Amino acid sequence: MAESWIKVADEGALSDGRALPVYPRGLGMLLVRAGGAVYAIANRCAHMACPLEGGACEAFIITCPCHDWRFDVRTGAFVEAPEIAVPTYPVRVTDGEVFVHL
Amino acid sequence: MSDPIFVYALSTCPWCHKAKKYFEDKGVVFEAVDIDLLPDDESDRLAAEAFELSGSRAYPVVRIGGEVIVGFLPERFDQLLEAEA
Amino acid sequence: MGHEARKGALRDFYTPLVAAMGYKFTPDDELADFLLEQEAALEETKGAPYCPCQVRTREREHDMTIVCPCIPFHRAHFDAMRRCWCGLFVHQDVTDPDSLPQIPASELGIRE
Repeated sequence: MAESWIKVADEGALSDGRALPVYPRGLGMLLVRAGGAVYAIANRCAHMACPLEGGACEAFIITCPCHDWRFDVRTGAFVEAPEIAVPTYPVRVTDGEVFVHL
Repeated sequence: MSDPIFVYALSTCPWCHKAKKYFEDKGVVFEAVDIDLLPDDESDRLAAEAFELSGSRAYPVVRIGGEVIVGFLPERFDQLLEAEA
Repeated sequence: MGHEARKGALRDFYTPLVAAMGYKFTPDDELADFLLEQEAALEETKGAPYCPCQVRTREREHDMTIVCPCIPFHRAHFDAMRRCWCGLFVHQDVTDPDSLPQIPASELGIRE
């Protein structure tokens, strides 16, 4: 399938401190608004594949609800060992609509 | 006379098993307890005691004479047993 | 015995994670199997595959730092030993795990 920008949400659906699960082409990801920008991160912990959904979001850090592994939504990097990361996806916000690039 | 040898152990930990076997093989008198097999309050009490002595949550914690050793360190055990003898 | 499927799953989860940090499973297969069995049982009874050789405090902030693989939370200590505390993982170049003794964190000037 060709790479493309896919609309996943209206910007108004996002709020700071709460990740929004979306499923472009069936791929589970979370939208996180932080520091005035929107980030998209895979909804699957690098540790044991738990959904990150429901984990606390504080500034740029999302904490997995299973075992508290913490990831930076800007890069996907695991805070304690940045060699480990979850995938992130490019995001564009246009006219109040959020797109991710797949 | 110094305190008896005491091994704070976890039943799940092979290095704790090795520490107990070390003292068995030496034929010395020692006490050992698998703290994870105790009721919660007793387990917590002994874990707190081991932490107080060792500053460690890593096991085994072994008390020999006045010394406290964290880990399965047979050479260190040898030295302390010799010092006791 | 009894946790074969879960032990396999834990092995599959851990392998790429520890490789990224320069570690691998110990070549001592008997030790690895015993430790994975303990972890699978701990996960079943206590809710997470905790380190079999570290004690839980039941304070979440501490206990989550001993969920396997706990290398990220004890990196300086384990890198100095070239193995993790329980011995499930060793540095990638280690072929003789028996040659690597445990070293208490305090002796390395590291706070646990």
